Amino acid sequence: MKRIILLLFAVCLSHSGLAQDKGSVLITNGTVVTITDGNKENADVLIEDGIITEVGQDLAAPIGVETIDASGKYVMPGIIDAHSHIAGVDINEWTNPVTAEVSMEESINPNDVNIYWALAGGVTSIHLMHGSANVIGGQNETLKLRYGSSMDEMRFKGAPRTIKFALGENPTRVHGQNFNVKPRTRMGVEQVIRNHFDAALDYKRNRKDYLEAKEAYEKGQLSKPPVPVAKNARMDALADIIAGEIRVHCHSYRADEIMMLMRVFNDYGIKDYTFQHANEAFKIAPELRENNAYTSVFSDWWAYKFEVYYSTAFNASILNANGVTNSINSDSGELIRHLNHEAAKTVHYGGTSKQDALKMITINPARQLGIADKVGSIEEGKQGDVAIWSGDPLSIYSIAEATFIDGKKYFDRSEDANDMRLQANPEEDFGRSQQRWYDANGRQGGSCMRGAEMRFTNQGMKYQQSTK
Amino acid sequence: MKLTHIFSIGVAVLMVGVAQASAQTAPAEAFDNVTIHTASGQVIESGTIVWRDGIISSVGKDVAIPFDAYVHDGGDSLHVYPGFIDGLALWGSPEDKGKDGQPEEPGDPSYKRAGIQPHRQPSDLLNAKDEALAKAPEHGFTTAALGLKGQMLPGQLDLFFINGPNTADNLLKEGVGAFAQFEEAEGATYPSTMMALMVQFRQLFYDAKAQRQQQEYFASVASDYPAPKKEEVLEALYPVMDQEQPFFFVVDSKENIERLFWLQDEFDFEVVLVSGKEAHEKADELKERNIPVLASIDLPEEPDWMSDDEEKEEPEEVTDEMRIFRDKQEQAYRASIENIQKLKEAGVEVGYASNGVKLSDIRENLTRLSEEGGLNNTQILNLLTQSTADILGFGQRLGDIKEGRVASFTVYDTPFMEEKAQSLYSVTNGTVTEIESESSK
Repeated sequence: MKRIILLLFAVCLSHSGLAQDKGSVLITNGTVVTITDGNKENADVLIEDGIITEVGQDLAAPIGVETIDASGKYVMPGIIDAHSHIAGVDINEWTNPVTAEVSMEESINPNDVNIYWALAGGVTSIHLMHGSANVIGGQNETLKLRYGSSMDEMRFKGAPRTIKFALGENPTRVHGQNFNVKPRTRMGVEQVIRNHFDAALDYKRNRKDYLEAKEAYEKGQLSKPPVPVAKNARMDALADIIAGEIRVHCHSYRADEIMMLMRVFNDYGIKDYTFQHANEAFKIAPELRENNAYTSVFSDWWAYKFEVYYSTAFNASILNANGVTNSINSDSGELIRHLNHEAAKTVHYGGTSKQDALKMITINPARQLGIADKVGSIEEGKQGDVAIWSGDPLSIYSIAEATFIDGKKYFDRSEDANDMRLQANPEEDFGRSQQRWYDANGRQGGSCMRGAEMRFTNQGMKYQQSTK
Repeated sequence: MKLTHIFSIGVAVLMVGVAQASAQTAPAEAFDNVTIHTASGQVIESGTIVWRDGIISSVGKDVAIPFDAYVHDGGDSLHVYPGFIDGLALWGSPEDKGKDGQPEEPGDPSYKRAGIQPHRQPSDLLNAKDEALAKAPEHGFTTAALGLKGQMLPGQLDLFFINGPNTADNLLKEGVGAFAQFEEAEGATYPSTMMALMVQFRQLFYDAKAQRQQQEYFASVASDYPAPKKEEVLEALYPVMDQEQPFFFVVDSKENIERLFWLQDEFDFEVVLVSGKEAHEKADELKERNIPVLASIDLPEEPDWMSDDEEKEEPEEVTDEMRIFRDKQEQAYRASIENIQKLKEAGVEVGYASNGVKLSDIRENLTRLSEEGGLNNTQILNLLTQSTADILGFGQRLGDIKEGRVASFTVYDTPFMEEKAQSLYSVTNGTVTEIESESSK
């Protein structure tokens, strides 16, 4: 226990300006779940300076590298959650139907104890998403769960930019039905997207023309100065989506609206996108496959609002059987701690193979986030993000015993202290401080609509302003 | 005609002469037989301070008092300290009326509704009858940079000599800084989150840059060019963009200090950090960036379990979990109390700003800084005087009792850090005000 506190203390000290902490470790004699090359019995995994350098048998530990015996245990790539809202300061800039300019990269809370609890579930990376209040919400940020580090060090270096879109009830309720601002309907949602894409294309052209004219004027090649076109953070982000520099992750449920967005994206040439939740995606699995669209779904969570009634626990299995790259996500600080169970449900209900089920929480979300060349499987050359499980990760009885990121241990059940928060408020009493995230918010709280909570009244949905 | 002309000139010359003579011979004032404490900790027993025209003309032990001086005799029992300076006070600010209903489009509010008003001047809006301005001298304050209540960009900071209702007539300098903070717009309005605040700051700089560019182009050509806008909100940012005026940026958490660094790296403005409760966590980088801190002394309450109070209720058993929590809590508490000391150790320039802390809470917090915060009384005095003056760019004029400095000081019946110390006189820019203490009322 002391060790881990010291370790965390050392991490805290190492913040500013120093290179990210990387570790070396040799994990021996486990069942190595490689994901991309099947399971390997009695195998060793050597991680050196943060990188997996060898997977094989009878490997020798280089001098100074700790060896961990994983006999009878499973070694699995760190779980990747493609939809999370833990470790966020604010989640929804819900005041406008389009807020492409804001980014979760500036809303990271590296001190959130949920990070530690997620590590205890074998999770090493999350996709920290903006909420779903807006048609085009903010940009998301892919994180490595380096608990005890800084905002900068939490970032997954080299992960592509992504952005949140949202269709259906959330944006129409927040904006159209509360503020009389378009969109009020699903038709309006489509037009908001198209109008903004068109505006972004205009802006991009005008801005480029201005900058070119400015340069020419300054060189004396033009006699009349141009009228400035100010740089616009929102339009820049929208233009980057069309240019393929930002991947779209779209909150969606109904098959018709998913089809709608694919048509819009085809019109604008947008290719790399993932439908989040997508409870009705099973109805259009072939169309999704044809468009190379990804899906990231819940195993069996539905009926929490009208548009989520037509759902099935076979969703993930049907998508998978149709060749759609699908992941299972949490969107919750509670589900994130047992995503292995969520993946196992696809085996239980839909008869998906165990290997494919595991892909849904490792390499598939990695593909959707554009980090599959770095993590998501145990392969030589990939980053050393792994977890040691007490047994088969798909067993209800298995638990993560240790979790490593870049070869450095961030969770060890044998050294698990009772209170792993990084910060204690001097003025908060012990009882209150014990209150856990899920006590306050429950399974469905603190997710997509955080900061823009809504409640049902006899008159229908009524906007309830956040406490802030 | 000619004669009249010559006569007029003669009168004019004479009047100028009189004016000059009277300037030189304005009556002096002095405090005699007092214990003088300078900002650097020097103590002059049985000393004398003489000032004229608001400027200290001599200070010391055996100082000759001019024949025309009005002398206050301290009877060797009074203590004189340089007047305290508040680097950012909200005294006299009108109440913030940001919540004027819900904007028609929450995502596209007016600048005012979004809390973006960097052009506002406290000197135009000051409520001189505010009780805080009357009370501040009693608490030792003679000068303050006054700001306005608001959100992300509430306005300019104007430096005033504090003298109760007369403060409005005692403006020393307008715009010593532009007040900024990570404060979301009130109610249902953009920006409502930290991430939107970050972008809003950026967008303001982009828009200001474009507006200025168009203004410059317009001025450079004779015709055939569209007239630029003259949005005062954006124009108020030009001095910040040109590093002619720093942002006085209220930030507390280490993460928000980092966010401020990101903005500074992008736009290259100058910063004075205000409040900075976790600034010690970023001390080295603050030093490297040459960012001074006008520190808050709004210290946290000591956790109950740490206090020596015998009546406190102890739980029956301190569990392992509770013990770990307490260790962390104690660490956090100590870090808060020692914030200023750690900043100073790292070589960061530290002054003082109340930024909303009540005058009546200052003494208790100063006492805790001295008892637990690792600062001695001289360091505390310096924090409140010379250091703050230096940060405000008035280090040669304010902040100490020295020849040539502005005569702003406070006379106490005992050393000011003593619990029962009472201020008796406040001298602000040479003007003496007798303080009516609670007991004498």
